[in-house]
Amino acid sequence: MGYIELHGVTKRYSNGFEALRDLNVEFGAGSMTFLTGHSGAGKSTFLRMLLRLEDVTRGQLLVNGVNVTQLSKRQLPFYRRHIGAVFQDHHLLAGRSVFDNVATPLRVIGMPEKDIARRVRAALQRVGLLAKEKLLPLYLSTGEQQRVGIARAVVNRPRILLADEPTGNLDPDLSRDIMALFEQFNQVGTTVIVASHDRELIEASGRRIIELAAGRIVSDTPAMSVDMAVCDAPISTEEQWRAQGI
Amino acid sequence: MPRGSENPFPDDDAATRGGWGRDHLRVIRDSAHFVSANLGTSLLVWLLVGIALALPAGLYLLERNLQDLSAAWDGRPGLSIYMDLGIDVAEVETLKTRLAAQAHVASVLVTLPDAALREFQAYSGLGDTLDMLSGNPLPASLRVILDSDAGASDLEALAALAGASPGVHEVVEEKTWLARVKDISTIVRRLSMVLAVLFGVGAVLVTASSVRLAIEARLEELRVQKLVGATDAQIRRPFLYFGAIYGAGGALVALMLISTTLLFIEGPLTSLFSSYGSELQLIGFDPAFLVVLLVLGGVLGVLGAVLSASQRIVALEIH
Repeated sequence: MGYIELHGVTKRYSNGFEALRDLNVEFGAGSMTFLTGHSGAGKSTFLRMLLRLEDVTRGQLLVNGVNVTQLSKRQLPFYRRHIGAVFQDHHLLAGRSVFDNVATPLRVIGMPEKDIARRVRAALQRVGLLAKEKLLPLYLSTGEQQRVGIARAVVNRPRILLADEPTGNLDPDLSRDIMALFEQFNQVGTTVIVASHDRELIEASGRRIIELAAGRIVSDTPAMSVDMAVCDAPISTEEQWRAQGI
Repeated sequence: MPRGSENPFPDDDAATRGGWGRDHLRVIRDSAHFVSANLGTSLLVWLLVGIALALPAGLYLLERNLQDLSAAWDGRPGLSIYMDLGIDVAEVETLKTRLAAQAHVASVLVTLPDAALREFQAYSGLGDTLDMLSGNPLPASLRVILDSDAGASDLEALAALAGASPGVHEVVEEKTWLARVKDISTIVRRLSMVLAVLFGVGAVLVTASSVRLAIEARLEELRVQKLVGATDAQIRRPFLYFGAIYGAGGALVALMLISTTLLFIEGPLTSLFSSYGSELQLIGFDPAFLVVLLVLGGVLGVLGAVLSASQRIVALEIH
């Protein structure tokens, strides 16, 4: 049984367009998977649906055995607190410092400020931006902004980490650095799903690759080794995150 | 959000214990910072809300003072009933008994023709001229005084009853100036109620618009908060505090406007009252009034914020 399971999942918009069609796929706990495909293949919709930013039109979406399509409006925020999300355009707050941007998820859960400071600095240390915690995102390079986005995504020790084209605007060296970060966070047992159309980068990773086309899965290439599959590994725990310094 | 079985994805209790109170404190701090950082806009909102609250609040004070003025006055409305000439005294007494038994009648005074003539001679100074008349030209009369609870309709009903009684020549309703003050007081009260509703709606709309602008200015932040798991209540919370700050601040401005107006008209009012031999004593502008106005302002502000935030936050999309 996977940590994330999709059974016959279809997403149809009100104009009749089907972004995802009858998807049946599982993601093991602690696994790392790449979603690939051309623009419009359904990668972003897939991730948005996992975040429940999109409703599922038909089918079941199970996370840790819970059918998240049936979560009430009041339960949804609590589900999202267990997911870290990274976007191509970062979604950083221009008027807030790097520290405040990363602290947002912890303030949402009501953590005391002294614990927030410790966790935020640990996350920034992990992505190599501790020295820039007081700067506004405006003064950071694109790669650094993306790393702030990643720090914000992991600071609340998520069970699932989703990334939508996280290297879309970055040069190859920076892209590899970003991917290395995802690999590190995957090592604590976090289930990582990265949507990317950078075939070279994702094939080099040796991880499982799912290819989407017109909303359907057209290929599902397993990881190159058992170590990289990490299926059914323990779900990320506080201790494992602490080992990462977060 | 209830923890446990109802929520399949609970927060870490140890990490978030006391989070609700901390969130409120943080939001209050942020809201105060936002309001002070946008002082120009905030002052404008306070002024608009203040003007909207000042008029009904000022009319309320006026109405309270008119009521107080009329309550302190010992004159009461009544009827003067003039009987036919030469009518029997027994008939006058019968009418007196009948009128005294009616509701709201405080007293009935009978003046018989002889007594009326003596009074008239004494007050008019026409004693010698009146002596030259062959008979008494004045009728018997009754003066009916109503109690302080009597309204205009009671007075009219009593006048109709007296007018239909045998031997009655004329009935004169005596609406004293007190009755007019009461009428004015009622008009002012009703006017202030209408204006309170209209301007209250105005205050709500002003706050709603200001909060809406604050929401639009922070849309990206709200989207990020929603993305990382903020509940609708958490997203709405800062704007409710904005509303409360705008409303209560507006009420403070209203209080300042009212007190300035009172200071401005105090001189001529004192002069007017002293010309009637009275002393100016304004009532109602007391600590209870200040507290009620501040709370009312805050509540109207929150109402405007709820109106604005609920609509916008429900429709908030994360792109």
